Amino acid sequence: MPNLKAIRDRIQSVKNTKKITEAMRLVAAAKVRRAQEQVLSTRPFADALAQVLYNLQNRLSFAETELPLFEQREPKAVALLVVTGDRGLCGGYNVNAIKRAEQRAKELKNQGIAVKLVLVGSKAKQYFGRRDYDVAASYANLEQIPNASEAAQIADSLVALFVSETVDRVELIYTRFVSLISSQPVVQTLFPLSPQGLEAPDDEIFRLITRGGKFQVEREKVEAPVESFPQDMIFEQDPVQILEALLPLYNTNQLLRALQESAASELAARMTAMSNASDNAGQLIGTLTLSYNKARQAAITQELLEVVAGANSL
Amino acid sequence: TLTVRVITPDKVVWDEEVQELILPSTTGQLGILSNHAPLLTALEIGVMRVRPGKDWQNIAVMGGFAEVENNEVKVLVNGAELGTTIDAESARQAYTAAQGALEEANRGEDKPNQLKASNNYKKARARLQAAGGAV
Repeated sequence: MPNLKAIRDRIQSVKNTKKITEAMRLVAAAKVRRAQEQVLSTRPFADALAQVLYNLQNRLSFAETELPLFEQREPKAVALLVVTGDRGLCGGYNVNAIKRAEQRAKELKNQGIAVKLVLVGSKAKQYFGRRDYDVAASYANLEQIPNASEAAQIADSLVALFVSETVDRVELIYTRFVSLISSQPVVQTLFPLSPQGLEAPDDEIFRLITRGGKFQVEREKVEAPVESFPQDMIFEQDPVQILEALLPLYNTNQLLRALQESAASELAARMTAMSNASDNAGQLIGTLTLSYNKARQAAITQELLEVVAGANSL
Repeated sequence: TLTVRVITPDKVVWDEEVQELILPSTTGQLGILSNHAPLLTALEIGVMRVRPGKDWQNIAVMGGFAEVENNEVKVLVNGAELGTTIDAESARQAYTAAQGALEEANRGEDKPNQLKASNNYKKARARLQAAGGAV
């Protein structure tokens, strides 16, 4: 016969776990909102940048500027920037990003290309640190909501790797935020910059909405308002120099976007994982309660039988 | 008067009218007054100065560009800090440390490290200057 006390203890412990997972889900949901506000606050910058890039492109061909960041070299070494989180309990988020990075590293190694890793998040740091990889730099315990100064710092170190010809290409591996239940790790080449498409940075933003008490996410395309410069605009320096000064901003912006998308994916993954965990805990409590009641009734029946049997035998 | 907006990738650091401003362009200091002709300039890592009323204020800017058009100045930079919010003492320490790190890096052969150290040095210098310290 199942032990009544053991079942009662087990129900209590599952209830406690459910409280924790429920709280974690709510915290993640609140943070998704903050992450979204932060994405919106980067709009003025991204818009102004897109506009200037558009206008500069009318004045000069980026491919012919011979700026170091546009230089196409035969790749002998490639740096991979891998973005993961600092913490677990978020479903497959970290594992997927790490798997994608490993797969990419393997592809490159098979082509005889050396791989250097730049890691963001302590999960990636732990994983690759224990294995045979050349880790150039790692950043862990960043702010949960990525900020520009951290993005700029990471961008600077990537630029330094590329410009010093330590590596010939820099690729980003981050988790693209598709929706609350879906996100996918993607590989994107950061350097060398491609001369096309620079003026139209990925203009999608996401917003979290509540519909019928449930969280939902919408992605929407944003058209950056592009106005031409006046004809008599004075260029204080050569347009090439202005472009050169502006590229670091572009890089920071790109990296910040990647970090933001990853952070949003992590939070969404945690929300989903924790809501599943809470559901499972609820089910488990139901099953356990049922078997507890059965055991209790069995015990009562047993006692009654004993009493009746005792009375009969008198 | 001019409307000046200093924008970093994640926030707007300054959005107010000023009488005049001085920008640290890559080709030297550049003063802007009202009704300036449309202009586009690249900015160094350095200190820009604005005068909203009588007094000048410093803003440390971490490189970028500025666009002047119709009495509106848009300053896009990688980072910006108001001089009044920087603690001069800690800025001084950071500057000394960055200076040391740069000298150390220049003795070595590690090129990425040198580039990074020289950037950090420039940033620390800009912050110290914005806080009002002499370099």
